[in-house]
Amino acid sequence: MLKRLLLVRGAELLLFALLAAIPLVVTSSYALGLLTLLAIYGILLIGLDVTVGYLGQVNLGQAAFLGLGAYAAGIAVTRYGAGIPLALFMAGGLGTLLGALLALPALRLEGPQFALATLSFTALTATALNELEWLTNGAQGLSLQVPPLLGHALSKREFYWLCVLAFAAVWLAMRNLLSSQWGRAFEALRDSPIATDAMGVGTYRHKVAGFAFGSGLGGLAGGLYALNFEYLQPQGFQYELTVILLLGVVLGGRKSLWGAFVGATLVALLPNLLSSRFLFQAFSALGLAVALFAGLRGLARRTLRPFQALAPIVATATLVAGGFLVQNTEDWRKAIFALMLFSVVVGLPEGLMGFAGRALAALFRVAPPPLPPPAPLDEVLPPHLASGAPLLVLAGLKRWFGGVRAVDGLDLTVRAGQVHGLIGPNGSGKSTVVNVVSGLYAPTAGALSLRGAPLPQGSLFQAARSGVARTFQNLQLFSGMTALENVMVALRGAYRVPLPLICLGLGRGEERRAQAAALALLDFVGLGDQARTPARDLTYGAQRFLEIARALARRPDVLILDEPAAGLAHPDVLKQVELIRRVHQRGITIVLIEHHMDVVSQLCDLVTALDGGRVIAEGTPDEVKRHPRVIAAYLGAVEPAVEPAAAPPAPPAGVPAT
Amino acid sequence: MPVSFIVQMAVSGALMGLVYALVAYGFQLTYATSKSLNFGQGELVMVSAFATLSIMGTGLPYPLVVLLGLLFGALLGLAVERTGVRLALEQKSEGWILLTIIIGLFLFSFAENVWGRDDRPFPTPISSQPLNILGIDVTPVELSVAVGVLAVMLLVEAFKRTTLLGKAFEAVSADRDASELMGISATRTVMLSYALSGAVAALAGILVSPITTVGPTMASALVLKAFSVAVVAGLESGFGVVVVGLFLGALESLASFYVGSGWRDAPGLVLLILALAVRPTGVFGKAVIRKV
Amino acid sequence: MKRLLALLALTLALPALAADTIKLALTGPYSGGSAPMGVSTLDGSKLAIAEINAAGGIDVGGKKMKIEVIERDDEAKNDRGALIAQELASMPDLSGVIGSVNTGVVMAGDKYLQEKGITKIICPAAGSSSMTQWANKPDGTKGPAQLSIFRFAANDGIQAAMVVEEAINRKLFKVAIIHDDTNYGVSGRDDLLNQIKKQGGKLQVVTQEKFKIGDKDMTAQLLKAKALGAQAILIWGIGPELAAVANGMAKIGLKVPLIGGWTLSMSNFIDNAGKNANGTLMPQTFIELPISPRAKAFIDAYHKAYGVTRIPSPVSAAQGYDAVLIFAAAVKQAKSTNTVKIREALEDLQAPVKGVIATWRKPYSKWNPADVDTHEAFRRQQVVMGMVMDGRVIFGSEADRLRLAKEQQ
Repeated sequence: MLKRLLLVRGAELLLFALLAAIPLVVTSSYALGLLTLLAIYGILLIGLDVTVGYLGQVNLGQAAFLGLGAYAAGIAVTRYGAGIPLALFMAGGLGTLLGALLALPALRLEGPQFALATLSFTALTATALNELEWLTNGAQGLSLQVPPLLGHALSKREFYWLCVLAFAAVWLAMRNLLSSQWGRAFEALRDSPIATDAMGVGTYRHKVAGFAFGSGLGGLAGGLYALNFEYLQPQGFQYELTVILLLGVVLGGRKSLWGAFVGATLVALLPNLLSSRFLFQAFSALGLAVALFAGLRGLARRTLRPFQALAPIVATATLVAGGFLVQNTEDWRKAIFALMLFSVVVGLPEGLMGFAGRALAALFRVAPPPLPPPAPLDEVLPPHLASGAPLLVLAGLKRWFGGVRAVDGLDLTVRAGQVHGLIGPNGSGKSTVVNVVSGLYAPTAGALSLRGAPLPQGSLFQAARSGVARTFQNLQLFSGMTALENVMVALRGAYRVPLPLICLGLGRGEERRAQAAALALLDFVGLGDQARTPARDLTYGAQRFLEIARALARRPDVLILDEPAAGLAHPDVLKQVELIRRVHQRGITIVLIEHHMDVVSQLCDLVTALDGGRVIAEGTPDEVKRHPRVIAAYLGAVEPAVEPAAAPPAPPAGVPAT
Repeated sequence: MPVSFIVQMAVSGALMGLVYALVAYGFQLTYATSKSLNFGQGELVMVSAFATLSIMGTGLPYPLVVLLGLLFGALLGLAVERTGVRLALEQKSEGWILLTIIIGLFLFSFAENVWGRDDRPFPTPISSQPLNILGIDVTPVELSVAVGVLAVMLLVEAFKRTTLLGKAFEAVSADRDASELMGISATRTVMLSYALSGAVAALAGILVSPITTVGPTMASALVLKAFSVAVVAGLESGFGVVVVGLFLGALESLASFYVGSGWRDAPGLVLLILALAVRPTGVFGKAVIRKV
Repeated sequence: MKRLLALLALTLALPALAADTIKLALTGPYSGGSAPMGVSTLDGSKLAIAEINAAGGIDVGGKKMKIEVIERDDEAKNDRGALIAQELASMPDLSGVIGSVNTGVVMAGDKYLQEKGITKIICPAAGSSSMTQWANKPDGTKGPAQLSIFRFAANDGIQAAMVVEEAINRKLFKVAIIHDDTNYGVSGRDDLLNQIKKQGGKLQVVTQEKFKIGDKDMTAQLLKAKALGAQAILIWGIGPELAAVANGMAKIGLKVPLIGGWTLSMSNFIDNAGKNANGTLMPQTFIELPISPRAKAFIDAYHKAYGVTRIPSPVSAAQGYDAVLIFAAAVKQAKSTNTVKIREALEDLQAPVKGVIATWRKPYSKWNPADVDTHEAFRRQQVVMGMVMDGRVIFGSEADRLRLAKEQQ
């Protein structure tokens, strides 16, 4: 515990203490200017890293939020005589607000489309700042003077300390946020957006909130930027800056506060590095040495592809050669920057800090803090009363894909407390039914209701919120996260502390309670001792059990198990059957899609057989197994000519008493 | 305001829009095969134009100069694919976005230092003496852009539809892994698409330079517009770019007139964000079904 | 490696050498869109410095000292400019700064130099606000009593006055103002509007249109001007876009004079507009014609040093050249490399400086915040109307040519 504190917190403390102490020793106003810029860029890049690192999207909009924040602060000061706190609040607030507004449409997009939408926003912002002359003074620029803080006129040094303070606060807030449910949700939605939604954690709303938060930090940085330079012009916040910021994050290392710091340092100091030829030559030689070392080692150990090893060597060698050949390195600054970035992106895709971080983690192994004892199971998974009343009712359900009628008029009633089997040959429409009920697809026609209330259609997230939980035939675990975190993401009703308080570090209590609850569920499925194992490192069987634990964390009314025994070895099948039975015993209603007929026979109270998107038989497992149409459907025998309209779904089977 | 002025403005804008469409087409070519595109395409346009200008300096006949220019563009496209795209595709990451931006940055700096920072005229045998067609002034240079754009797009589409190699495009686009199993080299198809895209960029540079002049920054505005056109049309939609390009070009001109010339780009940008929000796959794109 | 070590030794040895040189910083945009102006100024300044150093340096109180150049590219970016200014301001033995093309960079950076009292000659940024930011404001705020910032460029106020005058003289009473959307273009527009009012409101502005850097299709703006019956286009912008305007005018058949700021003499306008540039009028501080032995020597030296047959931006180059000569004269008079002493000498320069633009007699005087002209070198008489003709800039009027030639004898 102490070691952990010393190593992790100690490094952070040291960083900020150093940053704060430098101007006591170095008095040059130039150095102070650079350091101030560094702190401001630090905030800006932490904000950008939310989208680029944690949401995994290429964001070309951060320069716009810097500009918007800068102008918000500038206008607040010049026009309304605002003080520093109000100006910064306006800057951050405007960034957050416009970030949310942009995110609403933009975050429905991915990859290049998202990059373009944010880039367009940058261009639009620059145009607006330039054209709204009555507000921003347009191209002629806005001059302002830093107002006094609490009646005290700030010196450049004091203003720098203010920036460092803000940087430290943002750093802390971000760390608190990332170690909360928010951080897990970000991680989860990058691994599997579908599962995130299906676990009742809104992918979209978390993305929007994350983007707005990052943009708010951009705005805050803008506010400090305005107060630092005291002169603003719209042209400063355009494509070139936004690209450089993006590259700064990548260079420093995504998903890392330290990476943002390193990126900010490089972005702020790099242009100055090139004004001295000697410094440049020394650095490029160092770069070549690193590229040679890492590349040759990677080649020897076969951890790198030849291109990955050789390209950085060529690029850095070009730099070294250029340092001697080119007359004026300043002229080639962009090319130099490009070559450096190229080497890093190709050779160290995790960025400088990602690379260094792994090396350091290997050096200083730090044990994670101990877990709390598991919570009582009855608290986490209260037993349901198995009433046998209709719980999930599908009426006249249809889902067509173009001309393909995957589900074509289906009626189905699932009763509370039962295990209801759904069988049928491949292509019979089972999976489509599951996907419609769980909200992945909207039905083409028909009605769905749960507990008599209509079930939201076409939204995984809403369906999950209404009480439907599911597992996936092709596992959709959050593979980079531990088993414990996988379950914690899905915990229903566990997280109530609002975001601002989490940033202040007030979410820790609820975090411990969530850990205890998740541990109880892991114990229930027999994975209590593997809580810290990353999901991807679990055995295949354990991954299947983990999916069930995760779904149970939703405390569902209906649990849909999509082929839970698929691909399992025989001993694991037995374990799985036993587990499902225990879930059933807690009174949870289960819809079971399964191919193993013996599993179905052992578990199901009632079985519905589908073919061609319609019900062909319903009854107890034995009845359905013997049903001629079921046999025909499975064996592919010629179906007896039955008029579809006249065909009764199945002989009505008695509902077993409960 | 006479109607002929409005028409003149719309036509002038639309002709510029065709250039956007041509550059946008270069995006589509590579997106079709690899789901990636070159964020530094503008630099490809610019460097190819400069290179063509240098080739012209040797005194070769114009058609040969154009041919060599296109070849240069194709080679540059191949270089981008090799250095910026292939690795990312193999790792199934989006690293290509960053790498192509970086390569663009490098090419920009390279051009600044090799060919100078100043804009230069680009000689062409085609006249820039305006013709008056139905009361609208158009220069033959502008018309050559329109003809060139449509011709090259028809040619490439015909290639994709009628030749075996072209059909490989479609196959790799539909399912990369399955095509590999069928004996189509996805890597080679992607290389071909980047070469074609580079040649299309070079053509855009050669066609538009007589109007815009050649300089390191000649394509930075152009490429943003082209990007909008490609995405609004849908990155997989062939001719959709022409429609959207014409529309955006005309819209800009008219916005400049009615809203104020400072706001010229704004309607297009707003439209872009909205169009994407309503149809993320583009106006002419196909919707995607999610699967689990 | 040997070379690296040698360089290391050299770098370490530099501070020892520093005491024997006059440190002069040259700043400006040496890359990006405004680079042609920045580089021409830089080249002009370096030419003067090379000549001074070749002659053994400047006599500073009986000791010959050479000029050591510190070169910084501000990329036309304000925050770069601010940082560079902070860097320069913290150099203890810097004698002065010459440079800046972009008014925004001046606005962002000069306050740091003024704070430390570092003498700077702005050259060739012409935007009015570069100097008026230090003057007394209409709202009663007083400017500083001492100012270390000087300008060596024909400010936009003078230029705008000449442009408006020209339109009135030619009886072109309906004008359209077209300008770029940067600080330069927008303040140029304001100066023009201001001058139109000052000169009796004789001109009617039919429309004000903007374009962005990089725009190449100006049809919409020009058609509007044409439809509203403009008899002249008054323009404020930079090279390539100006060419796009001239070419657009030819395309839509708008045959009216194009009159604007000095940047219309830059090669990137003249070359790219071709014959469409003929007849364009703009105020010039220097025209690349050997009207006097001094001008001829400068032009020949520039051509030879940089391997060109035409100076890309003669105005920038000549101003960069003369600014260094004036600075050198101030150092000599101050008998010191101290930047404050140099400022005092600049404010009271005794010996005339024989530049290529003019013979400068007391270009500056003691700073007075009520009158920015005290730190402005150029007056109306040092500026002439130039005209583009067949790829060259010539004198707009023969009288000007004769007057300047005579003055430089």
